[in-house]
Amino acid sequence: MQRNRTEKKRKLRNGIALNIIGAIVVLLILFGSIITTIGYFSFTESLKKEYAVTTYHMANTATALINGDHLDEYLAGEETEEYLRTERYLDAYCKKMNVSLIYVIAVDTSDYGRFVSIFNLLDNTVGDTSYTKWELGHQRDTTNDEYRQKYRAMYEQTAPYETVYRRRVGEGLRPHITTMVPVRDSEGKTAAILCVQRPMRELTDARRPYLLRIAAGAALMCIVAGVGAAMYIRTQFIRPIREVSDEATRFAKENVKGEPLGRISKLDEIANLAQSIDTMETDMASYVENLTAATAERERMGTELSLAATIQEASIPNVFPAFPNRKDFDIYASMTPAKEVGGDFYNFFLIDDDHLMIVIGDVSGKGVPGALFMMVTNILISDRAHLGGSPGEILTSVNKDICEHNQAEMFVTIWLGILELSTGKVVAANAGHDDAAICRKDGSFELFKTKHGFVLGGIDGIVYREFEFRLEPGDKLFLYTDGVPEATNANNGMFGMERTIEALNRFKERTPQEILAGVHESVDAFAGDAPQFDDLTMLCLHYKGKGTKMNARELTLDAAVKNIAAVTDFVDETLEAMNCPKKTQMQIDVAIDELFTNIASYAYAPETGKATVRIETEEDPRAAVITFIDRGRPYNPLLAEEPDITLSAEERRIGGLGIFIARKTMDDMRYEYRDGQNILRIKKLI
Amino acid sequence: MTITQNRDNTALTIALEGRLDTLTAPELETLLSGALEGVETLTLDFEKLDYISSAGLRVLLSTQKKMNGQGSMKVTHVNEIIREIFDVTGFSDILTVE
Repeated sequence: MQRNRTEKKRKLRNGIALNIIGAIVVLLILFGSIITTIGYFSFTESLKKEYAVTTYHMANTATALINGDHLDEYLAGEETEEYLRTERYLDAYCKKMNVSLIYVIAVDTSDYGRFVSIFNLLDNTVGDTSYTKWELGHQRDTTNDEYRQKYRAMYEQTAPYETVYRRRVGEGLRPHITTMVPVRDSEGKTAAILCVQRPMRELTDARRPYLLRIAAGAALMCIVAGVGAAMYIRTQFIRPIREVSDEATRFAKENVKGEPLGRISKLDEIANLAQSIDTMETDMASYVENLTAATAERERMGTELSLAATIQEASIPNVFPAFPNRKDFDIYASMTPAKEVGGDFYNFFLIDDDHLMIVIGDVSGKGVPGALFMMVTNILISDRAHLGGSPGEILTSVNKDICEHNQAEMFVTIWLGILELSTGKVVAANAGHDDAAICRKDGSFELFKTKHGFVLGGIDGIVYREFEFRLEPGDKLFLYTDGVPEATNANNGMFGMERTIEALNRFKERTPQEILAGVHESVDAFAGDAPQFDDLTMLCLHYKGKGTKMNARELTLDAAVKNIAAVTDFVDETLEAMNCPKKTQMQIDVAIDELFTNIASYAYAPETGKATVRIETEEDPRAAVITFIDRGRPYNPLLAEEPDITLSAEERRIGGLGIFIARKTMDDMRYEYRDGQNILRIKKLI
Repeated sequence: MTITQNRDNTALTIALEGRLDTLTAPELETLLSGALEGVETLTLDFEKLDYISSAGLRVLLSTQKKMNGQGSMKVTHVNEIIREIFDVTGFSDILTVE
C-alpha cells in the first residue's frame, strides 16, 4: 500500500517535470518558428525591395541607350543603323549586367491589352531559361490585369517604375523579377516601356543560409532554455516537492515529528509549503500528544465510572430471586440508569422474619452527583430501618441527617413501606414520590393515591406522616420512579401514567420479573430511538401470604422464673406435634430458659409484669418461631457484650452467657422495640 | 432434677438426672456448698442429664474455681447438646470433660 503510493507519487512527479519541460520546449519551438517566419518574410521583403531598386537603376540606365523619338520610325521602317546600334548596345548591356531579358515594347494605350515589340535582347544562360527572341514588330496580346495596370502607370507616369514578381511560373520559366520603366521621347512623354527581367536566384541563394542560421539559433536557444528550465525546475521545484512529499509520507506512516525541512526552495510557494509541513508536523505532534493524554484520561474516567456503576449496582439487592426460601412473597426490581450511574434506587430487606421493608427513591439529579446522593440516602435509610421504627420515623430521622449535610441542596423523593408478612398490613410514608399502583387479586392495576409529604433533604425538621393499607394474598404492589411515565419519544411525547397502567395490566397475571420486563419493553417501544433521558427504576411485589405461619399459639403469664417450666411445656407441645427432634427441642428449651429468665429477672424489676410467648411454625423451610413480648424497660439483648470465652476459669465472670448460648444455638434472633414493647424473636430450623 | 451423691473418702461423685437450668441450678449449688469439705477428687456424672443452661454453667464455674484450690474436678458422660454448649461457651477449655 505504502509502496504503491510512493510509486504513484514518483510517477506523478515525473509527470509534472516532463509536462513543464515539454511545455517549455513546445513554446520555445513555437517561438523560434514565429521568429524564423517573421525573419524570413522581412528578409525577403527587404531583399525584394533592394532587388527592385537595383533593377530599376539598371533599367533606367538602359533607357539612356534608346532614342525615344525614333521608335515609331523603327516600327514603321527598316532596321536603321541607329536601331541596330542601339540593339547592339542593349545586347551588350544585357550580357554585362547579367540579366535574362531586356525588352522594349510599345503598348496600345486604348486598353493596354496589346503591345508590339521594339527591342528584345535575351541571355538564356543567366536564369537557365529558354526564351525565344521577339523580332521587331512582333505583336502580343495580354489579358493579365497586373501588367495592364502597370503599363498604364508607365504611360500615365504615375510611378517612376513598376515591378512584377513571378515566383512560380510555368514550364521553362524560373522565379524572376521584371522591372519596367518608361522610355520617354524628347517631350518627356512615354513612347514605350523598357522591361528588365532578372532571375530571383540571388534572392533565394542569400535567403537559405540566413534561414539556417536563424533556425539553428532558435534550436540552440530552445535546448539551452529547456535544459536550464529543467535544471531550475528540478532543483527549485521537483526536488523540494519530493522532499516535502517524502516527509509527508514518512510523517503519515510514523507520526513522529522529523527534522524540519527549512527553506528548501527559492520559490515562495514551495518554501511556504515546506514551512506549512513543518508547522503541521509540530502542531500534529502536539495535537496527537494532547489527544493521547485526553484519551487516556477519558479511558481512566470510563474505567472509574464503570467501576462506580458496579459498586452502585452491588449496593442494592440485585440477585434474584432475592428470597428463594420465602414462599409468602415474591419481589423483583430493576434500575436502568440514563448514564453510567444513576440517581434512582430501590432497596428491600427483611427487618425481621415478619417485616419486609421496601423503599424506592429518585434523587433530583442524574449521573455522578445523583449516584453519590443516592448511595448516601440508601445507606442512611437502611441503617435507620435496621434500628427499628416505623416508616414515618425513619424518613423523619433520615431527612434530618440529609439536611445537616446537604451542601449541594439536592433532594430525593422516597416511597417507603414496611409490610407485615404474616398479616399483609403495610405501613408506609411518601416523601414526594409517585403514588404506588396496586393490583388486587383478580383485579387490575390501579393507582393507589395517598397523601404526600415533602421531599427528603428539602426542609429540616419535617415530620413524615404514615398511611396504612392491607395487601391480601394474591395482591401485587408496583413502585416506580418518574423515569417510567416521563419516558419521552423522538416527538417529545411522554409515556404517561395511562400507558404505564395499561402496560402493567397487560402483564398483570405474570410474575413480578415478567411484569417489569413487560413494562420496560413497552417503554422502550414507545421511546424508539430517542435517548433515555431519566433513570428508570421499578419494583414489583407479589404478596402471596397463604398462611405460611400456622398454629400460632400464644401464652401470656407473669414474667417470673417459676413460670419457665410452663413456657417450656407450652412450646414443647407444639414442637412435639411437629415431630421435632429431641436434640433440637432441648436446644430450644435451653434458649427459652435463658431468654425468659432474662425477662423475668430484669424487664420489670423490682416490679413484676406480664410476658407473652408466641409459638409459630413455618414451612419451606420447616422452622419454629418463638416470640417473647414484654412491656418492661427497653432492652436489646442483641447489643449485650459477648463474653470472652477464651479466659481461664479464674478470670471468667458470670453473666452474659445465657443470651450468648441462645444466639449460638438458634438460627435467627431479632429484636425490636415497638409500641412500648420489647419484641424478641428467635427462629430454629427443624 | 434428681441428684445422687456417692462419697468415697476424699472422692465425691455426683450424678445428675434431668435438666440443670435456672430452676434447678440453685439446688445443686446449695448441695455443693456443703459437700465439698475434704473432697480432693470431684466427679460430676452427666449421663442422665438432658441439658444445661447458663445458670448451670455458673455453678460449674464456681465449683471448678473452688476445686482448683483443693483438688481436681471432672465431668463425665457428657451428651451432644451439653458438649456443644461447652464448646460454644469455651467451657471445654475450663473443665476436664471425659
